[in-house]
Amino acid sequence: MQAKDLNILNQFNILYLEDDTELLRHTTDILEDFVNNIYPVKTSKEALDILLNKKVDVIISDILLEGENGIDFLKYIKEEKEINIPTILTTAHTDTKYLLEAIKLKVENYIIKPIKIKELLDTLYDVLLPVVQQKEIKKNENIIKTISHVTDSKQVEIIKLIINNLDNENIYEGSYTDIMSKVSISKPTLIKLFKELATKEILVKTQHKTYRFNEKALSSI
Amino acid sequence: MRLQKLINYLNSITFELKTKFLIFIISAGMFTIMILSLISTFSIKYDFDKLFEKRTTQFVKLEDIKDAYIVNIQDTLIDIENKSITFEESKEVIVLAKQLINANWYEYKKITNDITEPFLYVSGIIKKFFTPNTGYEKDQILKINIVNNIDKKIVIIDTILENIKHSNHKKNFTRLYLEINAINIYITSLINYDLSLAINEKRDTQNVFNIIIIISVISIILVFLFSIILSVLLINNFKALHSDLELNVQEKTKELKNLNKSLEKRIVQVVKNNRKKDIIMFQQARFASLGEMLNNIAHQWRQPLGSISMIVQSFQTKNYLGKLTDEYIDAKTEDALLLANNMSNTLDDFKNFFLPDKKKEDFSIIDCMKHSFELSKYILEKEKIKFEILCKKDIKTHNFYNELSHVFLNLITNSKDALCANVPKDDRIIKVIIREYKQYIHINFIDNGGGIPLAIAPKIFEPYYTTKYKSAGTGIGLYMSKQIVEKHMDGSINQKNITHKIDNDKKYSCSLFTIKIPTNNIKVIDAS
Repeated sequence: MQAKDLNILNQFNILYLEDDTELLRHTTDILEDFVNNIYPVKTSKEALDILLNKKVDVIISDILLEGENGIDFLKYIKEEKEINIPTILTTAHTDTKYLLEAIKLKVENYIIKPIKIKELLDTLYDVLLPVVQQKEIKKNENIIKTISHVTDSKQVEIIKLIINNLDNENIYEGSYTDIMSKVSISKPTLIKLFKELATKEILVKTQHKTYRFNEKALSSI
Repeated sequence: MRLQKLINYLNSITFELKTKFLIFIISAGMFTIMILSLISTFSIKYDFDKLFEKRTTQFVKLEDIKDAYIVNIQDTLIDIENKSITFEESKEVIVLAKQLINANWYEYKKITNDITEPFLYVSGIIKKFFTPNTGYEKDQILKINIVNNIDKKIVIIDTILENIKHSNHKKNFTRLYLEINAINIYITSLINYDLSLAINEKRDTQNVFNIIIIISVISIILVFLFSIILSVLLINNFKALHSDLELNVQEKTKELKNLNKSLEKRIVQVVKNNRKKDIIMFQQARFASLGEMLNNIAHQWRQPLGSISMIVQSFQTKNYLGKLTDEYIDAKTEDALLLANNMSNTLDDFKNFFLPDKKKEDFSIIDCMKHSFELSKYILEKEKIKFEILCKKDIKTHNFYNELSHVFLNLITNSKDALCANVPKDDRIIKVIIREYKQYIHINFIDNGGGIPLAIAPKIFEPYYTTKYKSAGTGIGLYMSKQIVEKHMDGSINQKNITHKIDNDKKYSCSLFTIKIPTNNIKVIDAS
């Protein structure tokens, strides 16, 4: 259980659709320790109500509900309501008919009952990790943008240019003139920046017009 | 040898033909005899008549002519010679005599020429074939000669008589005497001839008679012999037939006795086999329900099992997160025990269902019905089949609980199959109406599965009759139900298709099973 950082789950809201009251209650008892909010519901009507009014990050749904079908419900919200929320199906049936339909609906995962809590949590992790990462990237981008606003924006622009033009082996090829033709910066300022980066071993000159970007140097600062 | 062959041949022909042949022979023989006797009688009578009439008149005529010559002419002439009468007187007498002679002679010839063939041809044929014609034609010529001579003599006598003009012609008289004598001689010979002819004819008649008699006798004998032979053959045939039949009957009786003996054995064997088959069928039915029940158990266990496993896992996660409190453990343990208890009860239900009933017990029909629906709850829910049980008062019965439950389960399964095959998921209904009427408990079991096709309706209670795929049913559910209701409960079960209004508005074509169980030894308690 330690393999994955399940703490990332605690910022998400989960909609749990299950018609077996007992199972719904016990599973909710466990999941509420890991997630921000869990909305246990027994019918698709309640589920739709939650979906329209609350922020939901993942849907966990049973396929066979009392008098209805989880897949039909998902089809409805995806096609009619255009709500695209990652979904995990739980079922006692290993019927390929359901499986095929689930694949068509681009369901994220499929859990066979009885539910193993570890499997469920792992699945949740797998489903939510890209969301977390997306958030992280967004956050960093925002940080960079903010920094560029408060410091010299030209320098930030040049670093961006260099990093964007790195090849697979973190090698940048280009002369000062090339950089200057793209970014309006004076040569002395550019030389000063390169020298500074070289002393911190972040951008090391290997050949003429060839620099290597040293990722490890960043973490040691 | 030939006779032997003939008898052999007659023996070989069929009985019916023999009888026909016998009747034919006898009737043909009788007919022949009758005809022959008729013929002989008629021909004899005819011949006799002919002989008698013709010959006697002939003789009379000839004798008359003779007499006329001797008495009338010769005596008259003698009288003239003696002068006792006058010539004139004599002349009258002679003319009279001449007229008499001529008339008689003419008549004689006429009669002689009148000899006609007998009208009965048979007699003539017989005569032609059997009588020897010795000298008949020669005699005919002789007769013609004699007749011619007589004609001549008559002419001569006439001329002589013409010539006698007076009484003194002595010479003429003498000549006349001579001629008369001659003519008399001729006439006598003619008489003789006719007499011989008559004798001939008599002989012919005698011959014909003899032949007819002989033929008759022969035919009588033949018919008699044939009849005897055929009768003997027929009797033999009858005897043979009788003995054959007797032999046959004996053989058949023997065979029958043997058959009876083996039949008894076979019946015992078949009964034994049937009993075995019945046992096997009961087992199969039991296995079939067992399979279905196992399916039910599996599902009814699946849910609580899921919950229990979740509870167990919750301890782990709570502990990991350090949130495992005493209260939590107590609450969850209680939940888990409740679930486990439910599971145990489910097992007991099904276990009881498979225990054979040792003896009849008092129970409520409605409870039994409800329990049966409870046992098949999983499949009914899965197929979205709604059911309702209508009963005005609680009816108790003294019966085999599990067997009745088995019957109800069979009906539920049967309805479920019909509903799944024919009706969309949102409209599947089973309705049970239980009531008491005239010493019987009537259980009407209705589903809106469209009814059973008329072509197969009479066969549904037969063993191994199934409309389902081989995997789906063994075809003995309804047969078993019928056996149970009829043999163990003295009741009856039957099916018909009806149109029924379920709930309030819609009319459905439904299948109705009616079970009737006698209400002996039961107490009725008001549901309230």
